[in-house]
Amino acid sequence: MSQTFDKISSIAFFIIGILFVTEATQISDSAYGSTVGPKTFPLGLGIVLILLSLRLFYETWKQAAKLKIVRNTETPSKTTSIELKKFLILFISAIAYVFFLEIVGYVITTFIFLLIGFQTMERGKILSSISISVAFSVGIYYVFSVILGGSLPSFPTF
Amino acid sequence: MTTLQFLADGFTVAFQWQNLLFAFIGVIIGTAVGVLPGIGPMSGVALLIPVTATLTSGLPTEAAAASSIILLAGVYYGAMYGGSTTSILLNTPGESSSVVTTLDGYQMAKQGRAGSALAIAAIGSFCAGIIALLGLVLLAKPLSSIALKFGPAEYFSLMLLGLAAVSGLAGRSITKALIMTVLGLMIGTIGIDAVSGIERFTFGQPTLFSGIEFLTIAVGLFALGEVFKTILEKDDDDGQIAKINRVFPTKQDFKDSVVPIARGSFLGFFIGVLPGAGATLASFFSYITEKKFSKTPEKFGKGHIAGVAGPESANNAASGGAMIPLLTLGIPGSGTTAILMGALVMYNIQPGPLLFDEHPEVAWGLIASMFIGNLMLLILNMPLVRVFAKVIETPKKYLLPIIIAISFFGVYAVQYTTFDLYLLLACGILGYLFAKNDYPVAPLVLALVLGPMIENNMRRALTISNGHFSIFVSKPLSLVFLIVAVSWLLIPIFMKMRGKNVIINEEE
Repeated sequence: MSQTFDKISSIAFFIIGILFVTEATQISDSAYGSTVGPKTFPLGLGIVLILLSLRLFYETWKQAAKLKIVRNTETPSKTTSIELKKFLILFISAIAYVFFLEIVGYVITTFIFLLIGFQTMERGKILSSISISVAFSVGIYYVFSVILGGSLPSFPTF
Repeated sequence: MTTLQFLADGFTVAFQWQNLLFAFIGVIIGTAVGVLPGIGPMSGVALLIPVTATLTSGLPTEAAAASSIILLAGVYYGAMYGGSTTSILLNTPGESSSVVTTLDGYQMAKQGRAGSALAIAAIGSFCAGIIALLGLVLLAKPLSSIALKFGPAEYFSLMLLGLAAVSGLAGRSITKALIMTVLGLMIGTIGIDAVSGIERFTFGQPTLFSGIEFLTIAVGLFALGEVFKTILEKDDDDGQIAKINRVFPTKQDFKDSVVPIARGSFLGFFIGVLPGAGATLASFFSYITEKKFSKTPEKFGKGHIAGVAGPESANNAASGGAMIPLLTLGIPGSGTTAILMGALVMYNIQPGPLLFDEHPEVAWGLIASMFIGNLMLLILNMPLVRVFAKVIETPKKYLLPIIIAISFFGVYAVQYTTFDLYLLLACGILGYLFAKNDYPVAPLVLALVLGPMIENNMRRALTISNGHFSIFVSKPLSLVFLIVAVSWLLIPIFMKMRGKNVIINEEE
């Protein structure tokens, strides 16, 4: 369990809470004479979040103190190998996929994304990768747009 | 009309060919979702909402809603059947609700009794499913007629109770669970306020006027979050899949599992009805109970059939029981039912006491189709269990990119904006980080679905009382709900203080 994440997130939630409260106070009051307008509920939520984030911060801080004692006596916990490179390639290509989706069209972007995805996960077997990518992108497009009459950005707009 | 007549009408809906087909597709996908470790029922259902929305786009709204909820519910209870398969054959639970099944199931598989274990799991699930459905049929009408008498104050308190129950039982830290709940409620306030028409937290962005779509958040947090986790954290599962010799259990196995199945079904059903406690908890409780009641408790953990029959029945009964608060009160008690509710709301159908009067086709059609679906699952799981066992071998390298592509397609096909796709990716990362650091995501989704309803009921109640918050404690029923809600949150804290172990509900 990561203490740093909890610390950062408790601060982040605290800031979100403050922002939420300040934004909520700027919501205009409702037009008719109800005492409880559109701002009451969000205002309450913001305050609750601020309180909870303080509690989380306190809990994390307390736990960290406790863990320090334990850590001195124990060997460091095992680290799980994290495949950051694979993930980053996939994530960046996913962003590129979204960016080009409406420009280049569904079939081509999906095909390229899947191909990159398959090859990133495991090199090799390029033929089966290509055929699955083609089958998926064309298949979805055909069933959705042609048979069911939905709308997807089809092919390049240029 | 009597309940039986309604049920008969429900069967005519469920027997329409497209609904039979939808139920069939649902249970098959559900079983696959259950078998595949890494995709839980929650992400499975979330992923399929847009797909069903597309499939049913040609039908009139009510029929479309009935058909898609039939499919989605099929995925939900189908996953409960499928989850046992990997537990028994691979010692890797496909779902958290099948974790206890590994204890005895895998031992049985090692002794060459995998077929027996799988068959008993399927039979137990079937019996439990039917018992839960009978409970649902019997309780639906009376419960919804009670709920009809609720005013906005009672509803507000009841929904708070639902949220409190789910937060109180989710994850290790109640603080974190509550933070997630509040975050969900906050996201729910974004957009144009339904009562006054004033825009809130939109910063003038037109994309935000209609609010943040529940579907995007759910698919992102659950489905993409899990995909990212699998990509990032490579787990080396070179587990050998146990061989299945004979599918039908022996007479002795049957004899040994009749009572556990019955006990597991009832226990699971009642735990399922309670908000917050879901299938996972039900299966744990059932295992503990079986061990306690057994004449030979030392056999547990060494391949005792009761250790498979009880929990597997309990988790299935719980998934049926969980439909009761959803359908009759309009309050989902777990993450998956929250997603089902989101799907119904997308079709402009509000689950709740009026559901049975306003949309009997949807409510009773769903119930009837669950009878049929359970039967299909029993038939599918007995002879085809070998086929499903093959699904485990689906290479991850194809599965993961395809899940990303399906979730993109699904969200885009419903929303038509790339904004939602970026949001989806962001939610995926958040979902991974949250889950990794013990922030339960189910309360967030539940709060997002319930948020607007909580706020509207609160404002309605306050309008009645001229702005006095005392209305929530002066109405007796509302007060009871609030007291239960508070104690649900406080009792675990007290128990922890006294050094007791509290059983928590993992994501399901």
